[in-house]
Amino acid sequence: MKNLNRYGYAFIAPFWIIFLIFNIYPVALTFYYSFTNYSGSGTAEVVGFANYQRLIADSYFVEAFFNTWKIWGVNFALQIVIALILAMIFSDARVKMKGLSFFRSIFYLPNLITVSSVALLFGILLDWQHGSLNMVLMNIGLISEPINWLNQPTTAQLSVSLILTWMWFGHSFIVVMAGVSGISTDFYEAALIDGANRWQTFTKITLPLLKPILLYIMITSLIGGLQLFDLPMLLTDGIGSPDGSLNTMVLYLYNQAFKYNNYGYAAAVAYGLFIITVIFSAIVFKSMYGNERKQARRV
Amino acid sequence: MKKVIGLMMSLVLLFGVLAGCSNSESSGEAKGDKDVDLKVWSFTDELKEPITKFEEKNGVKIELTIVPIADYPTKLKPVLESGVGAPDVFTGEIAFLKQWVNAGYWENLSEEPYNVNEIADNYVPYVFDLGKDENGDVRALSWQTTPGGIYYKRSIAKEVLGTDDPAEIGEMLTSMDKVFEVSEKMKEKGYRMFPDEGAIRWFSQGDNPQAWVNDKDELKLTDQKIEFLDYAKKLREESYTALAPEWSPSWFEAMDKPIKVKENGKETKTEVFSYVLPTWGLHSVLKTNVEDSVGDWAVTSGPSPYFWGGTWLGVYNKSENKELAYDFVKMMTQDNEFLTDWAKDTGDVLSYLPVTKEIKDDFSDEFLGGQNNYQFFLEQAKSIEPGIVTKYDQQLDTFYGNAVQEYVDGKKSKDEAIAEFYKKAQNAYPELKVPKK
Repeated sequence: MKNLNRYGYAFIAPFWIIFLIFNIYPVALTFYYSFTNYSGSGTAEVVGFANYQRLIADSYFVEAFFNTWKIWGVNFALQIVIALILAMIFSDARVKMKGLSFFRSIFYLPNLITVSSVALLFGILLDWQHGSLNMVLMNIGLISEPINWLNQPTTAQLSVSLILTWMWFGHSFIVVMAGVSGISTDFYEAALIDGANRWQTFTKITLPLLKPILLYIMITSLIGGLQLFDLPMLLTDGIGSPDGSLNTMVLYLYNQAFKYNNYGYAAAVAYGLFIITVIFSAIVFKSMYGNERKQARRV
Repeated sequence: MKKVIGLMMSLVLLFGVLAGCSNSESSGEAKGDKDVDLKVWSFTDELKEPITKFEEKNGVKIELTIVPIADYPTKLKPVLESGVGAPDVFTGEIAFLKQWVNAGYWENLSEEPYNVNEIADNYVPYVFDLGKDENGDVRALSWQTTPGGIYYKRSIAKEVLGTDDPAEIGEMLTSMDKVFEVSEKMKEKGYRMFPDEGAIRWFSQGDNPQAWVNDKDELKLTDQKIEFLDYAKKLREESYTALAPEWSPSWFEAMDKPIKVKENGKETKTEVFSYVLPTWGLHSVLKTNVEDSVGDWAVTSGPSPYFWGGTWLGVYNKSENKELAYDFVKMMTQDNEFLTDWAKDTGDVLSYLPVTKEIKDDFSDEFLGGQNNYQFFLEQAKSIEPGIVTKYDQQLDTFYGNAVQEYVDGKKSKDEAIAEFYKKAQNAYPELKVPKK
């Protein structure tokens, strides 16, 4: 019996070898670099905690932190509301919407387009002088002057948020739908008999039972959102214009490393980002599950 | 039996993983030894033709790897650092050239057996100079020179300024004040001088060209560059531009046809008079985007000489085939026969003077109404100040461009814009001494 156990290690060895070489090694190396002034070539000199001291006092990193949150927050709120409304419509036993699979693929489509194409597309749509959006708005008389969407901090951030919403609401919708279809119809029938209206059914039955699914969406979206990079990079000049409003944490990291050649400092930024991600994931997790445990104990 | 099968299977899996790692290396080596004599990396397909010629001439095989410019430095750097699968010859673009000549990846061409310093006089001075490292040793050479000018439309020039002669128009644009005079005349007749404010950034050095960073690592913002803030703002305020940002769809569109400009609640139709572009702007920007106005263009000089872009190439210092590698560099930068053909085929303005001397008088471009742009650009190249390019330029230019843009848009005052520029420069390059303001 004892011998048999060893084969297990052999079977998981391939994974571990790859994991060690391509995940653990770079992570450890980055950690080492974060204590050096490595510039991408030549030798690295150990500088102690200097990079981390700089990170804490770096107004650009703080700016990037809040930018990332603003952009992600607006996007997530919109995305989840849209997904829930759609899920409500499609799951409603009284409406009996047809063509779920058709709409599901339509809603998911934006997610299949590569981000660079999306950026190019919206760059043209949002163009100041010749963009379709401004033309439409001017023709229906909503605005008299064209708006330079990507040249003002608020509109630029809002644009990125809305593009992200457009790209991701389909994904959230599919996940929410999966969660909804897992809820037993008995609950809804009982609610119907008890005379509950749609809003009551939604808030008292659907939402509480969807909690684990919503938590899943939130954590994955948060982790992805904190790594927001490609859209801000491609929509404007790649260093966060206008006024640094599209300067996100990963974009800042990228620029520090590959544009300014401050690899050591960029490594410290990466660890700063890592710590922030861990903290917020923990907060989200606690706030959604912590209460439940307390309540369970009380009951 | 089960044990044996289990063991076998796990071994197979394990070897599969390891094979994945070793495979690329060994095949890379095999290629280097047998099939391919030389590996070349570049960021455009420009070198395809020359490589074919070189292969035919020398009976060798060259592998060309093209990496798009955006990824080029990040992909090339690790390869050069480790030496695994590294190219024997690789090109560098002006944006990161200074960084690379000092990084020590390129072979020192000033030493034996290359001794390129002996032929220094054969090159346009600023081009040769840019290939030097901190110690003055040459690391890379270039076959081209990329001075710039102002491309304008002859028909509009005739209508507004009474002449379309490049020399006369050039006389009217020798300073920024004169440029504004011409801009005003253009505006009166319903034309716009430039597509956008960014167009004049190449003249921001004014009559005092200085490096962004001097040899004491001090960041220098000259009075001329500060003055440039006001020039850019004036262009916008006086409506001298068509509000078509560089490389945007409207920027391209305005080359060939009238475009609509929306400002102050009005929509006006206008035509753009001129574009500020270098040598390559003619072949890869104007010619590829213009249909109707072919032959209606000409090129002349602006308030100050400038250059934009350029490709250098050198030999990787850990290459195992340096002799052949340098032969290729030699063909690209010193071969009379090859360079003559190259210039005639592509219209590229060469930096190798023995060849340009021979061919410059016969050039004329139909697109420019028969103008000899070759001679014009060679003249411009002579007046470019060597030694003012630093490894910081690419980023500092971007930062300063942003500061200018924010001032022009009225989002920041002049002092705020400059302060922000200093702050960004310090953040990106902590080693610089930045004025406190």
